[in-house]
Amino acid sequence: MQIELKNIHKHYGPVRANDGVSLTIRPGTIHGVLGENGAGKSTLMKILTGFTRKTSGTTLIDGHALDIDSPAMAAQYKIGMLHQEPHDFPALSALDNFMIGRVSGISSHRKSHRSELISISTQLGFTLDPDAQVDRLTVGERQQLEIMRLLALNIRVLILDEPTTGISRTQKEILFASLKQLASDGKSVLLVSHKLEDVMALCDEVTVMRQGKVSGRMTAPFDVNQLLQMMFGTLPSPPVHQPAIPGKPILALKDITAPGGRAGLNNCNITIREGEIVGLAGLEGSGQGVFLRVAAGLTNPTRGQITFHDEPLNGSGYHDFKKRGGAFIPASRIEEGLIPGLTISEHFSLNEKQDRFFMTGKTALNQALKSISRFNIKGRPGMDAAALSGGNQQRLLLSLLPASPTVLLLENPTRGLDLGSGHWVWRHLQAQAASGSAIVFSSSELDEIMMVADRTIVFYNGAVVMDTPTHQADADTLGRAVAGGAVPQ
Amino acid sequence: MTIPGSHLSIWGRFRQMTVSLIAVFMFTTLVLYLAGAPPWPAYYHITRGALGSWIKFSHVIKAWIPLMLCSCGLLYTFRIGLWNIGVEGQVMIGAVLATAVLRTGVDDSAPMVSFFLAFPAAILGGSAWAIIAGWLKTRGEVHEIFAGLGMNFVAQGVILWLIFGPWKRPGVASMSGTALFPDYLWLSYVPGFRLSPVGLVMAIMALVATALMLRYTRIGLNLKAIGANARAAVLFGLRPGRYMLLAMAFGGGFAGLAGAVQVTGVYHRLIPAISSNYGYLALLVVMLANYNIWLVPPVALFFAGLNVGSIQLPIVLQVDSSLAGVIQGALVLTVLAVHGFREWRKIHRRRSTENMAAKEAPADV
Amino acid sequence: MCKNQSGVLWLALAAIVAVFMFQPAATMAGEPFTFGLLLVGPHNDHGWSQAHFDAAKYVEKKLPGTKMIYIDKVNPADRPGVTIPQLVDDMVEKGAKLIIANSDDMKDGTREAAKMHPDVHFLHISGDDVLTGKAPKNMSNLMGRMEYGKMMAGFVAAMTTQTGKIGYLGPLINEETRRLSASCYLGARYAWEKVLHKKPEDLKFKVTWIGFWFNIPGVTADPTQVAQSFYDTGYDVVISGIDTTEAIVVAQQKKQAGKSVWAVPYDYVGACEGGGDTCLGVPYFNWAPGYISMIKASMNGTWTSKWEWLGPDWADINNADTSSIGFAPGAALSAAARKALDQFIADLGSGHVQLFKGPLNYQDGSVFLKDGEKATDQQIWYLKQLLQGMDGQSSAK
Repeated sequence: MQIELKNIHKHYGPVRANDGVSLTIRPGTIHGVLGENGAGKSTLMKILTGFTRKTSGTTLIDGHALDIDSPAMAAQYKIGMLHQEPHDFPALSALDNFMIGRVSGISSHRKSHRSELISISTQLGFTLDPDAQVDRLTVGERQQLEIMRLLALNIRVLILDEPTTGISRTQKEILFASLKQLASDGKSVLLVSHKLEDVMALCDEVTVMRQGKVSGRMTAPFDVNQLLQMMFGTLPSPPVHQPAIPGKPILALKDITAPGGRAGLNNCNITIREGEIVGLAGLEGSGQGVFLRVAAGLTNPTRGQITFHDEPLNGSGYHDFKKRGGAFIPASRIEEGLIPGLTISEHFSLNEKQDRFFMTGKTALNQALKSISRFNIKGRPGMDAAALSGGNQQRLLLSLLPASPTVLLLENPTRGLDLGSGHWVWRHLQAQAASGSAIVFSSSELDEIMMVADRTIVFYNGAVVMDTPTHQADADTLGRAVAGGAVPQ
Repeated sequence: MTIPGSHLSIWGRFRQMTVSLIAVFMFTTLVLYLAGAPPWPAYYHITRGALGSWIKFSHVIKAWIPLMLCSCGLLYTFRIGLWNIGVEGQVMIGAVLATAVLRTGVDDSAPMVSFFLAFPAAILGGSAWAIIAGWLKTRGEVHEIFAGLGMNFVAQGVILWLIFGPWKRPGVASMSGTALFPDYLWLSYVPGFRLSPVGLVMAIMALVATALMLRYTRIGLNLKAIGANARAAVLFGLRPGRYMLLAMAFGGGFAGLAGAVQVTGVYHRLIPAISSNYGYLALLVVMLANYNIWLVPPVALFFAGLNVGSIQLPIVLQVDSSLAGVIQGALVLTVLAVHGFREWRKIHRRRSTENMAAKEAPADV
Repeated sequence: MCKNQSGVLWLALAAIVAVFMFQPAATMAGEPFTFGLLLVGPHNDHGWSQAHFDAAKYVEKKLPGTKMIYIDKVNPADRPGVTIPQLVDDMVEKGAKLIIANSDDMKDGTREAAKMHPDVHFLHISGDDVLTGKAPKNMSNLMGRMEYGKMMAGFVAAMTTQTGKIGYLGPLINEETRRLSASCYLGARYAWEKVLHKKPEDLKFKVTWIGFWFNIPGVTADPTQVAQSFYDTGYDVVISGIDTTEAIVVAQQKKQAGKSVWAVPYDYVGACEGGGDTCLGVPYFNWAPGYISMIKASMNGTWTSKWEWLGPDWADINNADTSSIGFAPGAALSAAARKALDQFIADLGSGHVQLFKGPLNYQDGSVFLKDGEKATDQQIWYLKQLLQGMDGQSSAK
């Protein structure tokens, strides 16, 4: 099936999310849509899948002009989308999820569905237990399940929105192999991503978007520099690593055991010093998330001692941590970090000292305007924070931090951000470290850790398996440690 | 907990409310029809019974006052995402404390002192009662709906015990209520009208104060922030537990005031059904108004009007007098159904894509 | 914007108000004399409220040109938020010239409404506002001398009981209910000692109060349970003092389960219906004579505020036009007991038997009536305690 989008416009008031985008997806190919966050990729996909109506433009399917004005209609034309957040039912088994929406009548034909699931799974090289409960699956496995479900529905166009976020390298390889197979079976695959390496590894053809417009097209083989040029106009400069001289210890965790995540946190000993940037590596849920939350006072450890400048900080909560100049930024920005429904300006109001009964809103507005320009946030003070793109949400969160924090704890600070935004974030954080703040961050990208961290701590299965100055470690050693192959120190 | 509809624009809310009202209307028509009452005359008489004269309208306003007070209180708790179903019990305790203070004013040399103290006492009582439910929620991890329902039962028990025990009329043991207060302890009436201007002023002040509070104060913003995302609010240095108690205290305070108005302005004594179900009704009002403060007064007026006007059904049409109750029940169901449908549709939309495809063709991969 | 929309809503409401308010009042020449009836319970409760409802229907038939309008279930449990003055406003607007409020519970509300409508006449049943001087000029009180009916009830109960234990299913405690249960006891004691010549100490008479005139779930004690526990503890006759029919219903169930039990319902002439062979008879109110005289007075302009306490027409206590109190014997009443009852009624009518006559002591042993002293109406009306020999509370704990 061939899909052509011609001169698509989507305007939200004065904002032009899509400004004359044209795109052709040929059957049997993998087509990449590349662009930084806020470039208009998601809007375009929403139009294609019927979640949003376009302002103007034409959609042609196999040469026929059509208006896809509802998700149901997209389904009718066999267009399926794998969303960034899995749309599944965590409490049910994989098989149940596979069957949902497809069972009619009284008998559920469990057996035939099971064999169908197993057969698709083998074809694509997935190894998925049909009876496993979904909330015990990894993000990658949930993706596999969703892809199989869509395939069982006989879709002909598969759209994937940032599919490599939060999955392991192995899972990514399996995913890519399966996508290539689907394309060779004649299906059209549309990969939406801001990651150059993914697009380059997978796609036959790439359309690059910038600021709502198509900024370029290219077919494989690709040229990195040319793609970057299309994405950003001018190339962003990568952060330069300035090795820090660690100062006095600030935050120390001794023999900490705490619940949470897949593995919890077992007997963890870590001391953070002034001015250092510490990267926490590990597969998702290996304990680094729990560590950050325990350090911030958001999770109470069941055992162990936390000290801040040699004062005990056990169980006194985030408020105490915040009072001492600490701050935590969670990975899920809008779920945990920002408040949907509140404007940017209101976020600054919340952040102000709570000393007066009435709010004038004026100081907050000024603060918001100042931060918007200083942190280069694409938004207006009266905008709902939930309406910001991922990168701008992260900028907003950073702008809300205290001016000179003692300790900054960040969970996956550049997840979902495009290269430019990611680099911007790091330049900002490095500046803070230079002025004495300790920065501790987790990341699923080893490259990122190796680029910016002074020190790398690797978590595996709830325990610290490696704690080393970054310049003394190489990618292979770290990679092995992440996968559980390191000898504990 | 997210509040349904809280993400919508004002126009969207207005439209949703209209949809709810139409659904309510169709459903009640059906109920009337099934009950053998001619629907159009029934509506006519209900409307006339509520708005047919200034006196009738003043009865409507008399019901509107406690309904408004409760609704204003609920706006605080809904704003932070709490279902303060204990509002009914908070009205009762407010009434109990008002009665307790008023009793000291009977045959007293300065009855006005106790009259004026009755209102703050009722507010404090309602607050305290709500805070207990809030405390059970924040400390005991008891869901506020269950805590609230439990507290309602306890409050009803307290009233019954007081009426049948310590506050019984001399020589009498009856559930009909405590002795009537002398009229110098009543909220004053305007001659020819059936409502007290003081009560009306209280309701309007509650509305204005709540609007100001929620829009222009830090407390209002903080309640909204916690209601929208409690986890993020913690990162902003807010303590959700404390604000929940604060919201409950506000909600209970307004409900308590409603209780005091019921005692001083309507029944002039304490009766077992002193709350008149206005608490539960207010929950409905606020939900139907989609948590928008400016839509609360007209919706409350609609319910108050229905309450007062539906008494015409047994008088004029001689339809079974419980029909008015059935209509009210139908209202509750319809509002819940409309809300439920909206939630269902939200989920359904996500799934519809795949559903349609499944129907189109059997799987053949 | 939001303010504008609610503004539109307000405007719409105001328009509706205006349309309805400025309609001409629907008055016509030669309209009937309308009287309103506020019933505390359902109009078909086979008890107190139905007795009133049927009487009002009878008035419509007997006095041409009168028309009754009514609202039943007038109590805060059934109609939350609805007050007596509000209902009176509604009825007056419908043209009512006289309002009958049929419950003790409506005392305060009726007085309040009477003061608001000085040109409308009010008849408060069972109240004493005229006696106490609290009533305005447009208000009267009416009650039947049910004491006689209750004496007959107690009489048949004692004539029938095999265990010597009589239960009284009492509503709430006040002067009225005290004097009625005491009357029952006096009737029972008379039958026990003077007719059957049994030992006084073998008669047990127990009163259990539920807290209101009828069952309000969660508020009152459950009368069904109270009646059951009477029967289960050896009380084989239960006399009902409440507005509804639980006693006779439970008796019927127990009878079907093989127990020898009886019941005496209350209030309504037809209350034995469905009670089968457990009903000993019912002392009932016939409100028609009282209603008719009051309504006539109101129509003729001869209304005066008065306190009426109407008794049976001893010539024929079951005469629908003259007797305010009657007793309808039930199917379970034995021929012998019935004969004794007829004699008892005759003796009461002739004054030969006077039961509120000394020596009588209060429940706590203090003297109510000295030897030979006859109680005045006021002494009976305001009976302070139950009598010596009765079990049960005289007032609240």
